[in-house]
Amino acid sequence: MLQVAEGTSQGKTSRRTGRRLFLGIRRTFSLIFASRTATVGFFIVAFWVSAAVFAPLLTPYSPTYQDWKAPNQGPSAAHPLGTDELGRDLWARLLYGARIVLVVLPVSQDLWLPGGTALWGVAASLALGAFLGLVSGYKGGWIDEVVMRLLDAMMAVPVILLYLIFVAAMGASAVNVVLAIAIVGTPGIARLVRGLTLDIRTRDYVRAAETRGESPWYVMFVEILPNAKGPIIIDAMLRVGYAIFAMGTLGFLGLGLPPPSPDWGSMVAKGREFILAGSPWAALWPSVAIASLVVGLNLLADGLREEAMRYQ
Amino acid sequence: MADKKHHPLIPELKAQMERGGLSRRDFLRYATLLGLSATAAGRMAGLVSPREVWAGSIRRGGVLKVSSQVHKVTHPAQFSWIAPANQLRHVAEYLTLTDSDNITHPYLLEKWEASEDLKTWTLHLRKGVTFNNGDPFTADDVVFTLDQWLNKDVASSMLGLLSGYLDPTGIEKVNDHQVRLHLKRPEIAVPEHLFHYPALVLNHRTFEGDFIKNPHGTGPYTLVEYREGERCVLKARSDYWQKGADGKPLPYLDGMEFIDMGGEMAPHIAAIKTGEVDVIDPGDMGGTDIFLALKDDPNITVLPVTTGQVRVLRMRVDIKPWTDNRVRQALKLCQNREKILALAYHNQGLLGQDFHVYPKHPEYCEKPIPKYDPDKARELLKQAGYPNGLDVNLAVGSDWSDVVRYAEILKEDAAPAGFRIHIQTMPASQYWEKWTEVDLGITPWTHRPLGTMVLNLGYVADDEGKPVPWNETRWVDKEFCDLVAKASGILDVEERRKVFCVLEEIMMERGPVGISYWRNVWTSARKWVHNLKAHPTNYLLTHEVWLSKRTS
Repeated sequence: MLQVAEGTSQGKTSRRTGRRLFLGIRRTFSLIFASRTATVGFFIVAFWVSAAVFAPLLTPYSPTYQDWKAPNQGPSAAHPLGTDELGRDLWARLLYGARIVLVVLPVSQDLWLPGGTALWGVAASLALGAFLGLVSGYKGGWIDEVVMRLLDAMMAVPVILLYLIFVAAMGASAVNVVLAIAIVGTPGIARLVRGLTLDIRTRDYVRAAETRGESPWYVMFVEILPNAKGPIIIDAMLRVGYAIFAMGTLGFLGLGLPPPSPDWGSMVAKGREFILAGSPWAALWPSVAIASLVVGLNLLADGLREEAMRYQ
Repeated sequence: MADKKHHPLIPELKAQMERGGLSRRDFLRYATLLGLSATAAGRMAGLVSPREVWAGSIRRGGVLKVSSQVHKVTHPAQFSWIAPANQLRHVAEYLTLTDSDNITHPYLLEKWEASEDLKTWTLHLRKGVTFNNGDPFTADDVVFTLDQWLNKDVASSMLGLLSGYLDPTGIEKVNDHQVRLHLKRPEIAVPEHLFHYPALVLNHRTFEGDFIKNPHGTGPYTLVEYREGERCVLKARSDYWQKGADGKPLPYLDGMEFIDMGGEMAPHIAAIKTGEVDVIDPGDMGGTDIFLALKDDPNITVLPVTTGQVRVLRMRVDIKPWTDNRVRQALKLCQNREKILALAYHNQGLLGQDFHVYPKHPEYCEKPIPKYDPDKARELLKQAGYPNGLDVNLAVGSDWSDVVRYAEILKEDAAPAGFRIHIQTMPASQYWEKWTEVDLGITPWTHRPLGTMVLNLGYVADDEGKPVPWNETRWVDKEFCDLVAKASGILDVEERRKVFCVLEEIMMERGPVGISYWRNVWTSARKWVHNLKAHPTNYLLTHEVWLSKRTS
């Protein structure tokens, strides 16, 4: 009897969680579709995400297969976007490039983690930045001074230079690109979270929790952080765009994922050698891909922010 | 010492040429190396000078505009870039000149004489040559310049080139127009070393360490302006020692202007396409992008030249797994050379055979091009104890696009054999910091006119049996070293070729490098630029250049 009751209660809980999730998703989608900007952004991002997820079904070619009799070809029936300087299919490379950005993180030849390189980079910078921002904003005093001055010092260095320093020092690999994105993104997120924390910590429910005797960690992570999630999510979306740019820049400068990885930035860098020779395709498509995905993310974030503010 | 008239080996060389054992080009090279003038050697070879053909059509005047890079320079002996040498070689000059056909001529020298044992070289200086400040050019200038090269404090790359066979004590001033070099060992390439790009002859009276402050050379131009990162402007002098085909002093041009357009090729290409510049000085850049972008332009001449420039797939034989020759052989078998040349360098060069001697080196011994054979490579790896293949890291400089393509092709084609290659890219500057240290890498080697020069630099041991500084693979093979030393003292090309046949065989069988292709280089100029030739080392030789369109 007791077991049945437990089972019933577990079933109820999971049904309640499922319903809450469903409502959450529905609310997010209704927010997105309420804004034309966000809708356009959503479809662009959705295109790239589905292209990345279903890449193996969308092209018969491997991104590294070299047809050495057909380098630098324009679009054709066999190769819809043409081929690069080594005769590799550009459509296949673009799709598998999107996978690396959005769907998988190639840690080593054999270990691929789910979640794209850009997403991992932003997630890591979110974790680190949110932690520092929360502690700094909530504790205040000398901790705040020290953390913020250190982060200010980091922010004083141009972003590209920071990326170059980290990746050049650590070597070019997907994990190091993630680390570079995480380190470079941390100060911005920390500043944002600190600002939000300074505001939220004066709220009554925070005071109530403190009065209840909750630990500072509980207050920070259970009371403050969930209530700051809106702006953080929107900022994170923009940061995914920055991270894609960073990946492109590093790849372009030869510090991205090592070849023959279909890294969009390095595809542009290699392809530009052939623009003046009359084969612009290898540089054009990855440039379009980077631009469209970043614009898509920005539109989505902007639309969501505007809509959320209007809603509030 | 040699016969007063000709070196005793010259008749023998001529006989070899007549028997067909030596090409005319090689005869010219060796006869001139032994001190015969290019004209006399040309006559002996039955060639006619083409200069008279030009005399009627030459037009004087105009300023040649060259897109280039203008680096910071002080001491010419410290040059580590070709670009400043290509600018300042018009102000100061070299003792010799190795032309586009790889033939070395006397230049500020009137002639040279080598002893039969090739250990004593007498340099006869050209008389009547003056520096652009009016000082006469004498033996003191040559001795001063040689001392600068051999001075450790100056840290010139000439030191590495010469110190193996020449000490400062071996330089003797015989009289005002004669200098004698007493070498520690026989060396045939002395005249070619005197044309190495930092070897500009300095004025011993005025040179104080910074050539830009006192730009006194014997060249056809004076330095008007030198601004790092901007431009280098030269003006013709009227009392230059060389005469043009029209009987008047060279140069034909009024001046030259080198404009810094950075290290990316695109602005250079755009500038020549629009006619903003007349010539691209490929200097230290170069690459197939010039060729691909300009080859079909009707207003531009793209002049190719085959060179000994090469991308060397090098394996450190003192680090596992490359200690095992079977693994080295296996990787070499994974080079699909035709594919590599076609894709990495757009078929613009010659195929290589895993030894560092290229088909235009005079001592080259013809060998078949090895075939791509991943099955045999897999079998070799199995024998070496790697039945499941192995993971290897391949270091490459990301600035060298053809090197990266080479690495990508190799990775793909070596996979069936069992090599799992992880390409590690790094900026070229970072690669140069550890080019002798990485266990597997692709190193760019520049052109050198003689096979012995490059083998002595990169593949032998010193007197103590340790690898020489540029022996990046640490490969020391006693038989190979002895044969290289033997070949370095043999003048007879056929005899030398016999030794090279064995040397090449050894490198193919147990050597430490894979060589897939030799690169062409290009000099490109607007069609109105005449008499310009591409040089295998990207040297810009414009003394006899003239313009059919007057520019200011």
